[in-house]
Amino acid sequence: MSDDGFIETAGLSKVYAFGEVEVAALRDVTLSIPRGRLVGITGASGSGKSTLMNLLGGLDTPSAGTIRVDGRLISDLNKRELALYRRDTIGMIFQSFNLVGAYTALENVAFPLLFAGVAKKRRRERAAEILKAVGLEGRMHHRPTELSGGEQQRVAIARALVNEPRILLADEPTGNLDSKTSRQIMEILADLNRSRGLTLIMISHEQALLREFSNEVISLQDGAVVTREALR
Amino acid sequence: MRISDYIEVAGSNLWKRKLRTILTTVGVVIGIGALVCMFAFGQGVQRNITDQFNKVDVLNNIVVSPPRQDGRRRLRDSDDPDDSARAAGPVAVADANGATRAKLDARFLEEARKIPGVETVFPELRFPAQIRVGAKERFTLVQVLSADICRSGSMPMRAGRCYDANEPNALMVSETFVHRLGIGGPQDAIGREVEVVTLSLDFGLRSLMRMAFPQEGKMGLPVARSSYRFKIVGVAERMPFGGMSDAYVQPEAADGMRKLAFTNIWDLYQEPGEGANYSSVTVKAKSPADVPAIKKELESRGYNTFTLMDQFDQMRIGFLIMDMFLLAVGMIGITVASLGIVNTMVMSILERYREIGIMKAVGATDGDVQRIFLFESGAIGLLGGMFGLALAGSVAFVINEVINAIMVRQHAPRMAYFSFPWWLCLGAILFSVLVSLLAGLYPTGRAARVDPVVALRHD
Repeated sequence: MSDDGFIETAGLSKVYAFGEVEVAALRDVTLSIPRGRLVGITGASGSGKSTLMNLLGGLDTPSAGTIRVDGRLISDLNKRELALYRRDTIGMIFQSFNLVGAYTALENVAFPLLFAGVAKKRRRERAAEILKAVGLEGRMHHRPTELSGGEQQRVAIARALVNEPRILLADEPTGNLDSKTSRQIMEILADLNRSRGLTLIMISHEQALLREFSNEVISLQDGAVVTREALR
Repeated sequence: MRISDYIEVAGSNLWKRKLRTILTTVGVVIGIGALVCMFAFGQGVQRNITDQFNKVDVLNNIVVSPPRQDGRRRLRDSDDPDDSARAAGPVAVADANGATRAKLDARFLEEARKIPGVETVFPELRFPAQIRVGAKERFTLVQVLSADICRSGSMPMRAGRCYDANEPNALMVSETFVHRLGIGGPQDAIGREVEVVTLSLDFGLRSLMRMAFPQEGKMGLPVARSSYRFKIVGVAERMPFGGMSDAYVQPEAADGMRKLAFTNIWDLYQEPGEGANYSSVTVKAKSPADVPAIKKELESRGYNTFTLMDQFDQMRIGFLIMDMFLLAVGMIGITVASLGIVNTMVMSILERYREIGIMKAVGATDGDVQRIFLFESGAIGLLGGMFGLALAGSVAFVINEVINAIMVRQHAPRMAYFSFPWWLCLGAILFSVLVSLLAGLYPTGRAARVDPVVALRHD
């Protein structure tokens, strides 16, 4: 499998049924994303960005079409296989951070390792390592409420990295942050993409920031790809 | 996930919501406590009754009597090869009509001792004797009675005690006999020396001469008199065992006495050399478990049997009904407690809806999620079971003390009215965990099916 088609979708569609009414959130999306790229996705709200992200992340299953990651047909996996795919291949970052409020930063980062069956001591070591890498070695034992937005998002990034995924999916990672912090987070993510060779797909409203860091920007409208813009 | 992780995650989640965990657990504690208390009381009552029986060893006893004289229970037709073999055996003797009749004689004792599981066999024997205290002399039937039968409680004592197996010269009498002897009250009879004079057949020359030539109006039968000294150790309240006897001696003492052993008028017609027939024989099994097989064997040989075990089986049905009733009452508490668990788990899952979404996003399978919550409800059950057991123990202790305080004042012996056998303790905890897991099945199943996409959007 060539790098050209590390992540491939073909005819990807998602239809939500609200009673009798069916709403197509995604229509016939065919994409090919090479390994190690940073791809920005933009579009108005309701354009299907998040739906695409959830499908790529294995949180949801398509109504039609296929998803392949590194040649593997993700759209055919059962629930358990999808869970393992999320655990081993994907790291997800959300606008609202989605940290567990009752856990410390360290516990939040170690959380995914629990489901990978890693021993407790190793979990903590590994989480501490990664928190250090995102510059939070002094905040490990703080709970999310005791951290700033930027710190929380860095904890979330550390958590996404802890299982050493090959793909990072970031859904509006800077949506809740001020512009200075947004830039810091973007820099961390771009650095991960460069230094670790992670394939990074990022949704953002912030066109300027997205264009500054992305290799390519895909625009969605009404669930369909309208433009693909290669930047570098 | 590792088991240790499930335990740790469940523990820390429960700890974070202490109040709710404690309240839910208290519900289980009360439910299990009530159930265990009920059960322990039922067990205690049963144990006390069973112990009474076991202490006196009577559950091991089979009382064997010969078939009825009208032959209703005679052996089956002898064309059955098994029966014909048995009929030819030493214990079945053809009577004048040609029908076989099982007999209770010395040979029976020997045969019965050979039945597997039999510890000992002793006949119930009565013999006529004169009992003399000072100048007074009264005629009575002396019954041979072993010490353990006396101690079984079937002989309520007015004064003194049952004799011990190691005092062959001890004698017990009935209260009416004390009056007949004119000794005074039952208490006055204790420790009195008495002379027991027995009659026996004597075919010696002198006695035969006397029979041939009666002199001075004296009895012409070939009978000899023997005298033995006994000491009264106990006075029975009334005449037990059908009221036919007024005095009791031990088998060991009776063996050494010359006596006319007869139990009914037919015995006087028995052929010489056949040996004595007993009116009944007690067959003692090594353990109550051996009783049914021995009983069956004896019945197949044509004897009538009576065991307290049979009565005891009837009682056990009563126990079972009592247990069921107590169980039903106890189950009310458990039902309420399990609803509490369902409620707590539903609440907990609603609160942690988003967290479930996060778990799934970072790679938890449905099974992981369900197990995390099941461990929580199981832990509530485990804690509830253990503390419930402790509660039951404490309540039982208090109730026991109160009952005993009342009963001892009424001269009843101190007793444990509750019983906590190991299987009840272990069973209570396992049951509590099981009920909690069952109560957790529905809410945890819901948790497992949470759609992560929806949960992650949830506020």
